[in-house]
Amino acid sequence: MVSAPVKIQHNDEWINLKIQIDDEKIAIPSPVNATIPLRHILDLEEKKKNTLTIVKKDGKTIDLVSVDKVLFVLKHKILMKCSGYRLMVQFISPAIRGGVLVTNATWEKGAIIVLKTGIWCITQNKQICIPISDVTGIEMTKREVNDKPTDVVKIDHLEHHDVVSSFILTQVSTLEILHNFLQEATAGIKMEGTELGPMDQQIAMLVYSGMDSSSIQNMLQIQFKEIDRVYEKLINLNMAEVKEIRREVQLTAKGVRYITDATKAGVN
Amino acid sequence: MGRILIVDDTLFMRTLLKNILFSGGHEIVGEAGDGTEAVEKYQALKPDLVTMDVVMPKMNGIEALKEIKKMDPGAKVVMCTAVGQEQMVKLAIKSGARGYVVKPFQAPKVLDEVKNVLAS
Repeated sequence: MVSAPVKIQHNDEWINLKIQIDDEKIAIPSPVNATIPLRHILDLEEKKKNTLTIVKKDGKTIDLVSVDKVLFVLKHKILMKCSGYRLMVQFISPAIRGGVLVTNATWEKGAIIVLKTGIWCITQNKQICIPISDVTGIEMTKREVNDKPTDVVKIDHLEHHDVVSSFILTQVSTLEILHNFLQEATAGIKMEGTELGPMDQQIAMLVYSGMDSSSIQNMLQIQFKEIDRVYEKLINLNMAEVKEIRREVQLTAKGVRYITDATKAGVN
Repeated sequence: MGRILIVDDTLFMRTLLKNILFSGGHEIVGEAGDGTEAVEKYQALKPDLVTMDVVMPKMNGIEALKEIKKMDPGAKVVMCTAVGQEQMVKLAIKSGARGYVVKPFQAPKVLDEVKNVLAS
């Protein structure tokens, strides 16, 4: 049994108290007076730093705030016992960031836990949460493990506008199950692949690479109207969002006069 | 900033890399569409760095890398591989590649990798 200081939201107020955590339950003393069996927890969310939202089977939530060390222990105990898909695995996360292999990335032994809003990869001293809403792809692929090409599951997700890839390794017999489960959990991101034509795909690839519309226009030698049409399509498919709107202007007679005068005066 | 030779069999990827590297202030001294052309252009242009695709016709990227390292053991080559070609990455490192980026790539990460390799 571990005792930990936290702030808990109770009746719209944040109150300081000490909760008791063991391998089976969390006990919250007065004035909350609640015992939460860990297996009754459905989901964990970290909406802000140092905050944790615990979602119970009955749909009720508990919001608490504490220091990193306390939250780490709490999350570990919950994740190892809560109601979610859990599997002992080896993982590398992150393995690729923005298309560049992460140097010194190594396989770590731990567990993967799939909850309603996040895929958690944890070890005794590491906790990585991949929000389901940020997942961009799940696929079975091969990766060299101990000099042998081995089946792994690859999870791609967005992290601060970088595409990050993680690899999960487990027994072949359970890998397929994990892959199917992850695909089901992230079903909302599935694309048929037929929505985009060749030009659309090229433009999407250039946007992915960080090109702005002007660079794309120069590179593909196409009219901005065509780029705008593809942008509209990507936005409608929820594949892109508007980052900024730029304007192109031309000078009026007053502006031209100003520049002409300035040039004559030797300002420019 | 460096003088860079881009090697890739697709015009689209060459143009994309050219734009990314140019935006980072690098000078593109040449382009090659296969391994054989890469080796010839390396000899003629003596670039500071080569970005090398792995799967190409005539001579693949690994063979071209080996040829270039034979000519110039200090050559700086960054391999461009597709996801799932980790065996190739390992082979490329053994053969003397100094860096690697995985397609599809993002401009800032590519520029970082090129900068690191040029500084090494």
